[in-house]
Amino acid sequence: MSRIVLDMSVSVDGFVAGPDDGPGAGLGIGGEQLHAWLGPGGAGPRSYRPTDETGALVFDEMLATGAVITGRRTFEFAGGWDGDHHDAVPVLVLTRNPPDAPAPGHARYVTDVASAVEQAKAAAGGRDVMVHGAVTAQECLKAGLLDELELHLVPVLLGQGRRLFDGLPPGYVELELLRALDGPGVQHLRYRVRREA
Amino acid sequence: MASVRLDMTISLDGFVAGPDDGPDQPMGEGGFRLFNWLDRRDDPGPSGEVFAESLATRALISGRRTYELAGHWGGDHHDGVPIIVLTHDVPDGPPPGSVRFATDPADAAAQARAAAGDGDVLVAGAGAGQALLRAGEIDELELHVVPVLLGQGRRLFDHLPARPVRLDLVRRLTSPPGEDHARRVTHLRYRVRRA
Repeated sequence: MSRIVLDMSVSVDGFVAGPDDGPGAGLGIGGEQLHAWLGPGGAGPRSYRPTDETGALVFDEMLATGAVITGRRTFEFAGGWDGDHHDAVPVLVLTRNPPDAPAPGHARYVTDVASAVEQAKAAAGGRDVMVHGAVTAQECLKAGLLDELELHLVPVLLGQGRRLFDGLPPGYVELELLRALDGPGVQHLRYRVRREA
Repeated sequence: MASVRLDMTISLDGFVAGPDDGPDQPMGEGGFRLFNWLDRRDDPGPSGEVFAESLATRALISGRRTYELAGHWGGDHHDGVPIIVLTHDVPDGPPPGSVRFATDPADAAAQARAAAGDGDVLVAGAGAGQALLRAGEIDELELHVVPVLLGQGRRLFDHLPARPVRLDLVRRLTSPPGEDHARRVTHLRYRVRRA
């Protein structure tokens, strides 16, 4: 059974990017430290891999997913990963206004979060689904569609930028810490959403 | 040398209180959920350990809002240590117990460090924490991260400048296996890296 898993690097003060993020500068000012744990890389997620054991473990889990759900902004800031995030799995790109041109490579545009999750699950063939991007995370949370959160907590306060948890309605979402791994310059915290609570 | 340590309980989404906090509802709507872990404050184990450390500090800096909501702690937060309340507007009349007022964050930190001697300084309250962070006066953070999303409320990290502050994790303590869900918490201690 596929789990819908948010995967995000986040500062201790809750930002996924510093201020002034944009195309080609997806992490904003000062935000590059958020991805330092991934090690050096270039084009596309496959060009990275942490050299430490815990980092490699969580990274490999992320790239063992069978589909990716992301937001239009994240997708475009990343140059659309040239149409292939990893292993040619489907990339569902959430957007209110799909462009006329089809999405590149293995990406496709979706306007509704529930439909994105449905399509991703169907495509993932029992593997987990990776959710990436703050707005997409918020949409999934609001719709009650997220099963787990894998947060890479980076020891820095960015002060300003784009928040991971923002614009959510009031009310509890109870979580359970499933795993905490300490890597060099990062804590990997995996939480499960408790629906029975 | 005293370490000035911001000690706060937060939800995973970064709130210290739920929405609509005020005198009638100090923790905001639903915010008391954050304090369940304190049921373990007198027990052996991680939560007891970090709570004992907070009460071993030798001075307290509090924001005005926290001070008022806590009923001034009756003038004594713990062991009669000096309580320095950061406020824009110093009240008339003599302050209760070991309370004194400061209007400037750097001055509050200097007073607290002097009073604490070799001991540490506890900082309580989001407003005081932010003011001291802006002034570069926070040495350590002790965050009690509760596995819940509150969605809205009062944020711990807000109104800070876009100036990255590098931290180093000093310690991570997690509730023991078998702890009942409502009382689980992760205690993260960071040290502020000085440039």
